[in-house]
Parts: sequence; C-alpha cells; structure tokens
Amino acid sequence: MEIIASIFSGRNIALLGAALAAGLAGMGSAKGVGMVGEAASGLLTEDPSKFGKTLILQALPGTQGIYGLITAFLIIFKIGILGTPVELTTAQGAYFLMASLPIAILGYYSAVKQARVAVSGVNLIAKRPDEVGKAITASALVETYAIFAVLVSLLLVLFAKV
Amino acid sequence: MSVSKMEKLTVILPHDEVDAVLRRLMRLGTVSLSREEAGELTAAGLDPGAAAKAAAQAARIDAVLPLLTKRSHRKKPLFSIPVPFDPTEFKQSGDEEKAWKTVFEVEKVTERTAALKARLAEEDALMQSLIPYLDFKFSLDDKGTKTAVLLLGSLPAGIKQERIEALASEIGFVAEILSSDSRGVYLAVVTHRQTEQDTLRALSALGFLKASIPKTNGHATAIFDAAQSRANKIKSDMERLDARLDVLAENLTEVEILSDLAHTALLTEQNKAVLLSTKKCAVLTGWCPTRERERVSRALDRVAAAYEFSPPAEGDDVPVLLQNNPYARNFEWVLGMYSYPRYGKFDPTFIMSIFYFLIFGLMFADAGYGLTLVIACFGAVRWLHPREGMKRFLLMFGYCGISCIIFGVIFGSYFGNFPLAFMQNVLELAPEEMPNLALIPSLEANVAILFDPIQNPMGFLVVSLAFGALHLLAGMAVRAYVLCREGHPLTALFDIGSYWALFAGIGTVFFHRTVGIILIAVGVVAIVATQGRHKRGVAGKIIGGLGGLYSLINYASDLLSYSRILALGLAAGVIAQVVNILATMKGASFIGFLIMIVVFIVGHLLNLVINVLGTFVHTSRLQYIEFFGKFYEDGGSPFNPMKVSDKYATDVSEELENEAAEPAAAPQAP
Repeated sequence: MEIIASIFSGRNIALLGAALAAGLAGMGSAKGVGMVGEAASGLLTEDPSKFGKTLILQALPGTQGIYGLITAFLIIFKIGILGTPVELTTAQGAYFLMASLPIAILGYYSAVKQARVAVSGVNLIAKRPDEVGKAITASALVETYAIFAVLVSLLLVLFAKV
Repeated sequence: MSVSKMEKLTVILPHDEVDAVLRRLMRLGTVSLSREEAGELTAAGLDPGAAAKAAAQAARIDAVLPLLTKRSHRKKPLFSIPVPFDPTEFKQSGDEEKAWKTVFEVEKVTERTAALKARLAEEDALMQSLIPYLDFKFSLDDKGTKTAVLLLGSLPAGIKQERIEALASEIGFVAEILSSDSRGVYLAVVTHRQTEQDTLRALSALGFLKASIPKTNGHATAIFDAAQSRANKIKSDMERLDARLDVLAENLTEVEILSDLAHTALLTEQNKAVLLSTKKCAVLTGWCPTRERERVSRALDRVAAAYEFSPPAEGDDVPVLLQNNPYARNFEWVLGMYSYPRYGKFDPTFIMSIFYFLIFGLMFADAGYGLTLVIACFGAVRWLHPREGMKRFLLMFGYCGISCIIFGVIFGSYFGNFPLAFMQNVLELAPEEMPNLALIPSLEANVAILFDPIQNPMGFLVVSLAFGALHLLAGMAVRAYVLCREGHPLTALFDIGSYWALFAGIGTVFFHRTVGIILIAVGVVAIVATQGRHKRGVAGKIIGGLGGLYSLINYASDLLSYSRILALGLAAGVIAQVVNILATMKGASFIGFLIMIVVFIVGHLLNLVINVLGTFVHTSRLQYIEFFGKFYEDGGSPFNPMKVSDKYATDVSEELENEAAEPAAAPQAP
C-alpha cells in the first residue's frame, strides 16, 4: 500500500499532467508535421523551388507541441523539480493534471486537423504558388482552438496555489 | 493610401512597329496588357514560329546556367544584385557572341562528357569480367587442340576443391582453380573432346557457368591492360573537359545577361500573342496608372503608332495598383496575401499597417528579440541590397521589431527574463536585492515599466482585449467612413452608430451608472429599430432588429479572439525563461560562461524563429478576419505590368532617360 501511495504522490500526479501535456500535444504535432511533410515531398519532386513555401505550411502544426512543452515546463517550474521542491498533496497534484488536459487533448486533435488543412494547402500551392498566404491563413484558423486551450492550461497553472 | 487611378490605353500600330512598341512599354514597366474579345479582328499570333524559337533559346541558356553557376568562383551574395548593362554595347563589344559561344561549348562539353561516361562504364564492365581470369595462361579465345578442349567458367562460391578433384578423376578432366571471390570459384578446365559433354553435364550439376567476357582476343592480362589504359585515357579526357568548364564559368556574367535578353525576347513574343490584329495593323489594349500617362505618351510619340487614353468604363476589370507612403507600402504584400481591394474602393494598407505594428509588438513583446529583428532586417536592407519585393518584406519585419522593442521595455522582457535569471544565478543576488520596477505593484522581482505579463497574465489579457477593441472599433470606423464617402451617411449611422452607442454605454456604465444605462438603452432601441429596415412586414422588421441584437455575439467572439495575443506572448516568454535557466544554470565560472553563451545563442535564435513565424501568422489573421471582416471590399486583381526580364541584369541604356528629359513636343496622334 505504501508503494501505491508513494506512486500516487501529489508530485507524481502533477508530473503525469506535465507528461500528458508534452506527450499528447507533441504526438499530434509529430503526426501533423509528418503528414504535411509527406505531401510537401510529393510536390517537391516536381518543383524543388517551392521548398520555402511548403516549409511554412509544414511548421504550422508544430506549434501545438510547443504549447504542450510550455505547459509541461510551467508545471515543472511550479512544483520545483528544477529548484527547491514543493510539497504537494494528492489533490494539489490532481489540480495540475486537470490543468494540463485542455492542451493535451486539444493540442493533439487540433494539430492533426490543422495538418489536414495544411496538406490541402500544399495541393493548393502546387497549382497556384501565389496563393500561399491563403493556404497559411486557412490552416492557421484551426490553430485558434489550440491557442485557447493553451491559454486555459497556462492560466490554470500560473494561478495554482502551492 | 489609396488605389491608383487607371486609364485604359489603346494603341493601333503597323505590324513592323510591334516589336519597338512592346520593347519600349516593357522597359517602362507601367503598362499591363489586357486580353480583349477578338470580335472582327484576329487574335494575333503574329509569328508563332518566333515564339517557339525564343522559348527554345531561353531553355537552352537556362539548361547551361546552373552548371556554370556551380563552377563559378564568383562570390555568391545572399541577394543577387542585377548587373548594369547596355544591350547595344553588349552586342558590339562581342560579349553577346562570347556568351553564345560559351553556351554552345558547355552544351558540347556536357554531351561529350555523357558519351565518355558511357564508354568508361563499358571498359569498367570489361575489366570486372576479366579480373577472375587474370591468372589464365592461354589466350582467351584458345579453342584447344585436336583432342583437348579448354573451358573457362565459374562454380558457386563455397565449392570444396576436393569435390571438383573427385569429379575430375571420375570423368577424366583437369581443372585448375584460377581464383575465387565471394561470388564464386573461377576455373579453367581441360578435357578430351569425347568427354566434353559429360564434363559439362557433371559441372552444370554443381552450378557451372561459362565465363562471359565481352572481348576475348588474347591473354586476359593483355586485354585487361589495354582496357585499363583506355579507361585512363577516357578519365583524363573527362578531367580536361571538366577543367574546360572551370574556364567557361568565367563567362558566367555574360551568359546571365544573355539569359535575361533571351527571356525578354520570349516575354515580348508572349505579349505579342495577346494582341489583336488586322492584315496590316495590330491593336494593343492595356492599363496604365494615370500618373504614368505622360511617360507612356512620350515613349509612344517616338514610334509610328496611334494611341489614346480613356477612363475605365463600367464593367471593366481594372487592375489594382496600391499607392502608399514609404512606411505603409512595406505592408502591401500582407494585404496581397489576402486579396487586393476592388478598383476604386478603400485601400486599408495604411490603417492596417499601424495596427499590424502595434499587435505584432504586443504579441512578441521583447526588447532583445525586437533588437535582433531590427538589426537583421535593416542590416540586410542596408548591406545586402535586396530587390524591391524582398526589401519590403525585410523592412516590414524591421518596423515590427521596433514595436517589439517598445512593448518589450514596457513589459520588462529582454530575451525573456534574462536580466533577472542572470542576477539570480550568476550574480547570486537574493530575491529582495533584485529590482522591482513595475508601476503596477508586484510581489516578485521584475524589470518592467508597467508589469510583467508572466506575473500578471490577467493584466496582460486586459491590455490585449483593449487593443482588440480598438482594432474592431477602427474597422467599424472605416466602414462608416466608406459608407459616408459613398453617400450613405444614414446607413453608417444605423449600422455603426447604433452599436457604438451601445458599446459606449457598456464602457461608461462602470463610471457613471445613469449615463451608461441611457446610452445602452439608446443603442439597443436603435439596433432593434433599424436592423430590420430592409425586411418586409412588421414581423420581419422585428425579427431583423432582434437579429441585429444577436450579432453582438459576433463582436464578443471577435474580441475574445484577441486573447491569442496573451497566449502567444506567454509562449514566447516561457520558452525564453527555459532557455535562460539552462543558460545560467552553471553559475559564475569560466565554463559556465561558455555554456551560457552557446545555450543563449542557440536557444534564443530558435525561439526567435518559431515566434516570428507564429506572430506573423496570427497578427495577419487578426487583420484578415477580425479587422477586414468589418469593412473590406476585396477582389481586385493586382496590376501586373509588362516588364523586361531582370533576374540578373538591368538594362541601363540611356535611350529612355533621354526621352524622359525631352519635352513632349511631338503632336499626339488621334
């Protein structure tokens, strides 16, 4: 029982939150950036000079991973992994876990969805290279919700009382 | 600040003047061609053969150019500056001929290199097939004697010698192993003519393959040596050709100028294809900005052509040229990424450029990153001489960098919290010794003037939304202005004024209750009363009015969208914090200092790149959706004048300058 209690210490549950935020959002971004990269390579076989344009589109779904990383870092700062450790009750740890969920879930989902728009954006600039701005804007619209999610996660972590 | 006025240009000219006229107009670069309905005229195609020839010539030069560029020892600047040149002089000095000769010779060299490569591969294959049989003492085409036969071939690798010997004594042949490698064992077999079939059958059962050598006239070593010397000769030939390319690459500049000339010729042919023609004359129709009318007239007065300018008619698809002050025109490309305004409508570049500046800086509020942007962008413009498009791109980010510095100082961010991290970890100051400068009191140390967004995110959210509100109100104000300009002041009052009364009421209700409530009431009544005015029937009008009230939701969601300013600002700040912690972790020691410099540069550079991209995308989005959504009438096609090709070189011949200096004395043809 003691082992179980020590595994589910407040600190570890908070770390689970940090792991989910970085892990799930990062998974979404990895998948998204990969999808756009595949589509972009297809286009680049025909016309390598479009690399700069496709690179921006490919980078777009990468931000969710960064948002997850930021949330994870803030949790790590807040519970003092890198400095003086803070004692956390299980309930306080669970608070951090909850706080990480918005960016963990939405980060994953929005990165994949954003990547799909970016993939069609790659098809768009294959035919009309001048319309890259529209392709970027269309893809960036999806990111709005990841931004809202990271906003909620960050505010919850910043205002945590520990 | 506005969309340039355009005039329609119609030129009627004899066929033999077409080249001269097009060349003049292309050099001016102020006239765009428009494709007109042919009607009774033929859609020109004056000389389809010439177009094909020009395209072929340009393609030949383009195929050669990358080879020469790779070989050239000329310094390669980040942004290439066009070389000045004079086409007449280029021809007379023999440079043109030299360039063409270079192109031909490079073509020949490439062709010959390819042929040599194929021959080298042949010789290599021959040598490879000979290597296993180099120890064979007889000529390879030796047919044996009257009674004995000679066989050359290989058995699969791993066959034991005893196995072969056993077989040899059983059937009666002599086998000598010449060599073996990972692929097989190579042997020479001598057998009696009578037992040849048995020998072959027995050996085949073991996997025997007869040697296949392309050339067999003599001893293996002799053939091999001959092949090798031929291969060496080929290699030295190839090296010589290769060295020749290095010499030819010195003519790169001339070939580049030739490429521009060829592409200009090609563009001329393509423009010709748009013209309409009769048997003797061609008709050119296009657009020209009104302010360029004089210059175009002067250019056309010098050739035998009749021309006239006319104002755009109803239904014409007039191309759009934006005209802005030296600051705002750097933001035109951001507008272009969305869509140009329709001809004669409001050009929002200037007002957008102001908000772009503010929102970019607020979203990426950091003096350190801002200074980096300013130095990089203005420095590149100053020393690398980029072309106009790239120059505007860089200048825009340079201006945005200034805004980042301003907001960075206000919110106390210098490469994130670097000053604080440095004081804490390297100078080892205690928390109470560190500065706390913010006007809005904070419990923690900071170097901000107003407050530190990471310590006070809600405060920054309020600032973000306040800027958002200002942005949205400006968008509505532009709509009101456009409506008034077009003579609908009442529409402006109903659609904008009523909402403003309501917003003003919501704003004042916190300070002065009665005034606030009165304003809200006026606003609500005005909205309900006016927003259904286009609907039929009383019920329709009421529902329309309530719908107008419901559209407040849109304003609220637009406003909340500006919370992204906070989110992106926090993202940049927190990553910078992480970099600073890693950089200053080792404290005040020599090693610690080295680590600090490396981590600092790499980490902050990465953060800068990520956040410039993110901030650019989301600042643009706030303009496109929240701001433009309020008023923008877009859909114009950009003005795209005929131009000469100037990828590598600019034509500086003085012909046009002289014309510009002359008074427009020649009488204008009807």
